[in-house]
Amino acid sequence: MYESGRALSRRRLLQVGGVAATGALLAPELASAAGSGARAGSIKMWWWGEQEAVGIQKWMDDSIAGFKKKTGATVSPTLMDTAQVIPQFTKAAAAGRVPDVQFLFNGIYHMENVWLGYLNPLEGLVSAATIKHGGGTSLSRYTGKSYRTGFYGLAFGIAYNKNHFEKAGLDPDSPPKTWDQFLNACDKLKSKGYTPIGGGVKDGFLGEWWLVNALTQQLDSPADALNLFIGKLDWREPRYHEHWSKLAELYKHTFWNDDVTSLDLGQGFQVFDTQKSSMILQNTAAIPNSQKQLGKNAVGFMKLPRFGTGKMAPHPIVDTQGFGIPAKAKDKKTAAAFIDYMHSKERLQAYWTTSKQIPADDRFDASVINDATIKKIYKDFFAAKQNVYIADLMPSLFWTDAMFVASQKILGGKMDGEKAGQLAYEITTKWKKRNPDSVKSYTTWGKDLKA
Amino acid sequence: MSAGQAVAVRRPRRSPLRAGGLLPHAVLVVAALCALGPLLFMLLTAFKTQKQYLNDVYGLPWPLTLSNFSEAIHGGELYTWLKNSAIYTVGSVLVSTVAAAFCAFAIARMRFRGQSLLLSINVALMVVPPVVMLIPLFAQFSDLGLVGTYRGVIAIYAGLTMPFSIYLLTSFFRTLPGELFDAALVDGASHLRVLRTVVLPLSAPALVTLVVVNSLWVWNELLIALVFLPEDDLKTLMVGLTTVLQGRFSLNVPVLMAGMVLASAPMLLLYFAGQRFFIRGLTAGALKG
Amino acid sequence: MLKTRPYIPYLYCLPAVALLALVFGYPMIRVIDFSTRLVRGSSGPFIGLDNFRNTLDDPTFHDAWTHSLTLLIAVPIMLAISLLVSVLLYEQVRGWRIFRTVLFAPYVLAVPVAAIIASYLFQLHGAVNELFAAVGLDSLAIDWIGSEDYALMTVLIVIVWREVGFGIVLFLARLMSQDTDPLEAATIDGASWWQRLRHVVIPELRPTIEFYVVVSAITMLSSVFGYVFALTHGGPGTSTMVLELYIYNLGEVESAPGMASAVATILLAATTVLIALMFWVRRRATRRDLAESL
Repeated sequence: MYESGRALSRRRLLQVGGVAATGALLAPELASAAGSGARAGSIKMWWWGEQEAVGIQKWMDDSIAGFKKKTGATVSPTLMDTAQVIPQFTKAAAAGRVPDVQFLFNGIYHMENVWLGYLNPLEGLVSAATIKHGGGTSLSRYTGKSYRTGFYGLAFGIAYNKNHFEKAGLDPDSPPKTWDQFLNACDKLKSKGYTPIGGGVKDGFLGEWWLVNALTQQLDSPADALNLFIGKLDWREPRYHEHWSKLAELYKHTFWNDDVTSLDLGQGFQVFDTQKSSMILQNTAAIPNSQKQLGKNAVGFMKLPRFGTGKMAPHPIVDTQGFGIPAKAKDKKTAAAFIDYMHSKERLQAYWTTSKQIPADDRFDASVINDATIKKIYKDFFAAKQNVYIADLMPSLFWTDAMFVASQKILGGKMDGEKAGQLAYEITTKWKKRNPDSVKSYTTWGKDLKA
Repeated sequence: MSAGQAVAVRRPRRSPLRAGGLLPHAVLVVAALCALGPLLFMLLTAFKTQKQYLNDVYGLPWPLTLSNFSEAIHGGELYTWLKNSAIYTVGSVLVSTVAAAFCAFAIARMRFRGQSLLLSINVALMVVPPVVMLIPLFAQFSDLGLVGTYRGVIAIYAGLTMPFSIYLLTSFFRTLPGELFDAALVDGASHLRVLRTVVLPLSAPALVTLVVVNSLWVWNELLIALVFLPEDDLKTLMVGLTTVLQGRFSLNVPVLMAGMVLASAPMLLLYFAGQRFFIRGLTAGALKG
Repeated sequence: MLKTRPYIPYLYCLPAVALLALVFGYPMIRVIDFSTRLVRGSSGPFIGLDNFRNTLDDPTFHDAWTHSLTLLIAVPIMLAISLLVSVLLYEQVRGWRIFRTVLFAPYVLAVPVAAIIASYLFQLHGAVNELFAAVGLDSLAIDWIGSEDYALMTVLIVIVWREVGFGIVLFLARLMSQDTDPLEAATIDGASWWQRLRHVVIPELRPTIEFYVVVSAITMLSSVFGYVFALTHGGPGTSTMVLELYIYNLGEVESAPGMASAVATILLAATTVLIALMFWVRRRATRRDLAESL
């Protein structure tokens, strides 16, 4: 009797007193579960973007505040790390502990999660209009369902320093269009003492960007890229590793900064932003930041000059970042409402007015853009017929073992295009052998791409 | 050597091995500079502005800039990571030490079937690299719902440090004179009581060693923390540094260095304050695999 | 030995053994099971030895092994440095404590912190090369982390930098805890510095040296993930890929847990060699040794 009485009073003490705090500390998942049950309309979001589109944080903060005002629901955002944002989600999903809104890179970066059953189709949750206009792109569809809507959009190419161009006797308003013009421009810049192209490939992302900009020129359709990655086309054919030969050519002419292999992608940007290089492989989301460093009218943006002969070659490359809803999200309704809210007219226009970014949504009215450089970029890239970002189809084994290795070796002078093609072929063969199930999923996915 | 009596570390003498002259001192000074250089680089850079850093890597930071520190802790994540690292460290060291003490007491002072097998397995486990268990452990913890929880990670760390803890304590308990136990047991004390009132008080040096070695290991661990703590608010300092801070401030080296100074401060301060324990603990714990 | 009710010892061992089973036992059995499956999530279809075949076919696997074994070079380097420095410390009365404090400080620094600092110091235009340029040693200014030829060496330097303090302190502690001083006798006999080092100090420290060598070798094979992850991610190319990172990449990045398990199984088998060494050393470094150093 006495014993049980004591136990009871102790339990009550636990409920009320300070010990509960320790308990909550050791079992936060219990505490948070209880919390979200009590307060409906409180969701968690794991996002990414400020690292690339510097300033987008402001837009996100405003959106969260606006959503709260409109619906009373709270969104708790966590800004994730670049290399971790997707792997962490995959791990969290495997463990069944997911946020309600998850940031998703396009294509395979989230598609593998679709195949594992970690993402919910958006149909029936998010409004049909948002799915249609919201910039999820064809790479987010699988067996007829959509798994992602767009966040901001970004186009890929080369940013260049207009002042350097002028000083080297190049026309800053008419950047090189062909490969020969490009080499010629690099020569002129170099003779003026500038490093023609800057960058950092230590963490590998520069290699991905090069592959996308250059290989796309040799392809006829995204299906070609998919078939290369799953081994239905052969990397050893010259046209499919020509892009690496071009990279090696630039290395041979010493057009890159000499420390390109010991810098990360972000550190490479700094080479351009501090005027140490005249050009940089870049995407448009980073342009406003470069303008801040170099001057409003000092930055130009162009497509990678053309050497390729594929049907995709004439068109610009545009991709979108985006969001999806995890299959095990606790409050899918509020998550969907927040996604719809981010695509409301007022929010879309605010992308530009608060953060100088361009939303991934074709309902955006571009007339608000009041910066000549970005206006031109919008016209030439976003409003034009565009290509998908083919690295969105790249299996992660290809990323780590072929793309990462080849681009670093080439920029270190240890590999040529042909050998890179051979390596890519071997890695693709390896991947096929290791992942018979993924080959099937890829093939199914490919059907959606053509449709 | 009697139980629990720490060997007084004697001052090195003016040694018969003396090589004489300036050479030895010169070697030591060079070695010390090499050891300190990177630390100074971190510390000095943390007090520079971005501009000072870019213009003069070696210069002294003057005037001192403190804003790097406030920028590094902006948002408060650094505190969260510090708190988390402290929780994992204290929790797992506590669990590991207590469980190991019981087990080691049984192995060293009792007789039971499987005793020496247990000790042999234990020694073998000291050598097994944690990465071997990584993949299945994750699958298993996912099934148990233990991924991304404090208790899950504490259990892993306690488990990984367990073989060394058991080994060290067993060895130590065996050096304690048997008469102590016999006397206590004749007096009718229970095992638990012997452990508590006789063994543990005499084991302070061994326990200090354990706490130092295991704390340092858990505090600095990266692989497990990277894999088992996907959520941001559960991250450890090491994961925060390598994945978040390094990425976010890779362009602003002074802020990154300021963050790392703050992150390193607790251990460095403990080290400079309690050097004796660190050095004695770690040298005695040399078996750590 | 205490006489006791038969279940008591088991009760005492239970919590520890349960944890060992959870963290070591079950996963070690499961890793072998995983290595024969195409694992997706927490299981998958049985595929026999395919994972092992794929592993052995993979040049990166061979690179990872080669590099992990190459890092063993750090063991004799650290041994030489720590022996030399500890003996010097042992003889120098003035300021030896300060030297010891300073030399040991890097060991207290976290691995990722050491690696991140190094990633800036060793950039092509980083502090180290600037220092060389400033003192006219331009020829030593190499592309430390950006070149395939040097990156592994740079990783090794960083490891030695952080870890060597431990050896120094260990040997110094052993030297200072000796009861008798055979060195005095040797000096009186007129032996030279090197002779004394070779014939007196090293034999005297032999159990500790063996011990240190085995422990460092284990570290090199199984605890360098933090260095590589924060410094190079295995690049440029595959020039700093080591076993731990290879397993991590397979399991966590490339969604190939089955193959990662196959590699882990091979590593586990290789570890048995180290286990044998460990038992051998343990027999030699007696318990008395250990208790003494406490």
